Amino acid sequence: MFRLAFRRFSTAVRPIVTQRLNKQSLAIASVRNFSENPDETDEQFDARWEAYFNKPDIDDWELRRGLNELHGHDCVPEPKIIIAALKACRRLNDSAMAIRLLEAVKFKGGVSASVIYPYVIQEIKPALEELGISTPEELGLDKPAY
Amino acid sequence: MALILRSSVLRRFLSTTCRSSTGARMDLVYEDRTDYPAPHVRFTKDAELAEDLKALRKKEAGDWKNLTADEKRALYRLAFHKSYADMKAPTGEWKVILGGVCFALAVSAGIYMFQKDYILPEPPHTLNEDWQAQLRDYMIRMHNNPIEGIASKWDYEKNDWKK
Repeated sequence: MFRLAFRRFSTAVRPIVTQRLNKQSLAIASVRNFSENPDETDEQFDARWEAYFNKPDIDDWELRRGLNELHGHDCVPEPKIIIAALKACRRLNDSAMAIRLLEAVKFKGGVSASVIYPYVIQEIKPALEELGISTPEELGLDKPAY
Repeated sequence: MALILRSSVLRRFLSTTCRSSTGARMDLVYEDRTDYPAPHVRFTKDAELAEDLKALRKKEAGDWKNLTADEKRALYRLAFHKSYADMKAPTGEWKVILGGVCFALAVSAGIYMFQKDYILPEPPHTLNEDWQAQLRDYMIRMHNNPIEGIASKWDYEKNDWKK
């Protein structure tokens, strides 16, 4: 009885399944899983992001998108990129984002944050003083408020 | 000062979230995440700020060296709800979870005991120890399983278990 039922079921379903399989294989054939981007050296990466944040008429959306994408990379951004981003925050009059950016850098330091973060702060100190930005530690934002 | 500013920010935010969430695009929602340092939008909308906070936003357009630490903190809380330290701070939620799990266990134990006392039928007579002893004697008398089973372990001459 089960065999009969199965045979009926399979003959009814076969056209659907085969159709779907055909469609899938077509779709796979037409999309090539190649990366469009050629390999990029670290220097090119740094220069690309520095240029991104140095764009004179960068807007709020671009700044946020850039910070988020840079945060997603497996690296802590170079101080020169951070300085460029801080200046972009200054052009957009967004002092909060400048502080947030420093917090994000500290977060990206992970287990080595105690080594990396002071180095970054030391490197960007002139820019911080020039723009009048306080670090999260100076503002007490490194301690939870709630 | 900072506390007053923050509570007014929160009140303002709570009063406007419902309105903005109905008509606004759903992808432009504020969210605090450690892996996305910059949310889509600011925590508060400039147009909906109180007058003193609007003045503060105007002051932000000037030189940042003129801002005090309190003002910088207030500006930060206008743009972001939680700092990274706030996000990473322990929430104490584990207590709620542990309590909930223990409560669920207690409820299910209560249901089990209630069922055992009032719903389930009596256990079958084969679980009775007297019955099991009678059955064992019967199997020995029957010479049941004489090679490896119960009868092989019974000494029929001494009428006792083999030592």
